[in-house]
Amino acid sequence: MSLFRFELRKLLLNRRTLLLLACLFALYSVVGLTSTIFLIGGNDSYRAYEDLAASWEGPFDSEKAVEAEKVYQEVSARYGTDARMISRSVKDQPEIILAVNYHAYTERVEEYWNGTPPESAEEPYGVALLQGKIAGLERQGKQDSSDYRELSAALERLEELGEPEFANILLWENLFNNWGEHMMQFLLFVPLTFVIAPVFAVERSSGMDNLILSSRNGRRKIVTAKLLSALAASTAVTTLYLAATFLFGFLPHGSFHGWDSAIQSIPAYARSMFPWRVWQLAVAGAAWLVFTSVVYSLMICLISSRMKSQTGTAGVSLAILFVNVGLAAMGDTVTQRLGALVDFGLANVTLMKEVFGGYKGFDVFGAYVSYPVMAVFVLAAIAIAVAFGTYLGQKSRTVV
Amino acid sequence: MELRLEAVTKSYKSKQVLKGISLSMGTGVYGLLGPNGAGKTTLIRILADVLRPASGRVLYDGKDIHAVGDEYRAKIGYLPQDVSFYGDFTGRDYLEYSAALKGMEKARAKRRIEELARSVGLWDDLKRKCAAYSGGMQRRLGIAQALLDDPEILILDEPTSGLDPYERIKFRNIISAYAKDRLVLLSTHIVSDVEQIAAQIMMMEHGGIQHIHTAGEYIRMIEGRVWLGPMPAEQLVDYQNRAVISNVRAKDGRMEVRVISDTQPVPDAIQAVPTLEDAYLYLFNYLPGKAGR
Repeated sequence: MSLFRFELRKLLLNRRTLLLLACLFALYSVVGLTSTIFLIGGNDSYRAYEDLAASWEGPFDSEKAVEAEKVYQEVSARYGTDARMISRSVKDQPEIILAVNYHAYTERVEEYWNGTPPESAEEPYGVALLQGKIAGLERQGKQDSSDYRELSAALERLEELGEPEFANILLWENLFNNWGEHMMQFLLFVPLTFVIAPVFAVERSSGMDNLILSSRNGRRKIVTAKLLSALAASTAVTTLYLAATFLFGFLPHGSFHGWDSAIQSIPAYARSMFPWRVWQLAVAGAAWLVFTSVVYSLMICLISSRMKSQTGTAGVSLAILFVNVGLAAMGDTVTQRLGALVDFGLANVTLMKEVFGGYKGFDVFGAYVSYPVMAVFVLAAIAIAVAFGTYLGQKSRTVV
Repeated sequence: MELRLEAVTKSYKSKQVLKGISLSMGTGVYGLLGPNGAGKTTLIRILADVLRPASGRVLYDGKDIHAVGDEYRAKIGYLPQDVSFYGDFTGRDYLEYSAALKGMEKARAKRRIEELARSVGLWDDLKRKCAAYSGGMQRRLGIAQALLDDPEILILDEPTSGLDPYERIKFRNIISAYAKDRLVLLSTHIVSDVEQIAAQIMMMEHGGIQHIHTAGEYIRMIEGRVWLGPMPAEQLVDYQNRAVISNVRAKDGRMEVRVISDTQPVPDAIQAVPTLEDAYLYLFNYLPGKAGR
């Protein structure tokens, strides 16, 4: 049997970890199920919503907007302005949920044309707003500036995408919330930490380092085998999360309606510059989550190779994760000051909403590089650096 | 084939554990004897390349083992003092994993596992979890692991601890047969383990190799210094604080003591035929500055 298969067995395919995975699958299934159940009432309510929404889907309709505004004003007076809270309060009234969602859509159309003051300093949005800023830069003769290039590119893409359309994406939005909000980091990355932490540390705590370090393949090939097993384990755990939340998110209503809608119809992705359909975002989001979990796992591998115990490895890894989450939760003033540390920190870069939901860009030697592309490069660089560090560490590792 | 140490030192914090050890070893069995804390395990670990010396070099056929790297480790079989296992591995898993670490081909690994499992008496237990093995079985599994890739250099740290007398004899026979054209370094504090099979025996103390001789040379070193004499039981406790006694046995209602001494220790004491154990006691417990250890 190859070293990889043994390492995979030690890390993943053993009774203890498989039991943990079974528990995680149950937990993720409950997360998927409950998030859908709280979204709207029973199956009848969802069917009614789907039927009602069918006649509302499509381009912006001012008459429907007026109608939705009226319902929204009434309902927000009772339940507040938060759309999720309203939906949960009127779970069995699909017509109200639809009106509230259409009202939110109306605001997104307004944003598309005019932007929403105060606009984001990092990501100004809206056709008129962008045109105004571009004109301002032209007046100052700054056509060669990176700001000008970035804003022009954003305007061009915004016009290409066109005005957002309304679609019934209720279940998909719920799925993307499960995949792309901070709760995911606790549900997925925390258990992942405990699965990966033993990868190297177990050899010290078990005393097997003596055997490994004195063997022909104990300095290099074993690192390759361990890193590959960590990649496989993190992919397995992430796939489990994705599959369970997907399956149990859609299962209660048995509908994939909205799968072919534009992603701009989903509130969190309204400002996205990707001309993707919802199913494409699902594929990209799933791939992104697998990718980021793999990078995080490689970071744990490096930590594990330097620590004497699994507990210590898990502690340091979680501390890094939580510090990142803490930094990202700071106010705009702090996050803007920290810049790339927050942009490419685990808290932000692992969220598909952050990566695919906007059009933040970076000026790299005069060239505009979008956030997702930059994130791929930064994460790939981190992955290569930690893998290299792990190889170096194992090369000079001793038993004491 | 030559394994040479040049002025090898090692310290743990302020304590110097190895003090500039230089020696050369060729093929044959080398015994490494010494009291606890002498630095045997540290020296063994450096030779097994799981520990780096603070200064000095270990040369394999004239080349630094760190420069040789994987190829040096491919030539060694190492049995550490404490053999460890993964909880859910069976004996076969452990040996197959060891074979994978050593880079052995699958078919050869399978054949060697069968040979060695039969040789160390574990064939019927290969499917059992290692964690359920007795201490002796775990030790035998460790020995099989060390021999798996037919290594040119076999480094064994306390290989017989936990083995019963029959298993120890069997182990010695395996090693004797194995060492024909290879280097076997056997570290132990059980003198009889090396007495029969080691061509050279190194006595180690305080981080240095104090003596390197054959068993016969050690024994000749203390000829005329081993005594057998009678002693009343009530005097024994007091006497053993003043003398180096290698054995005591009851005989005809009195105690007969075996004493290491340059002069006749008690009246009526007669000279006895020395053993390697007597030599060990003489070197580490009798010589000036060591009495009363």
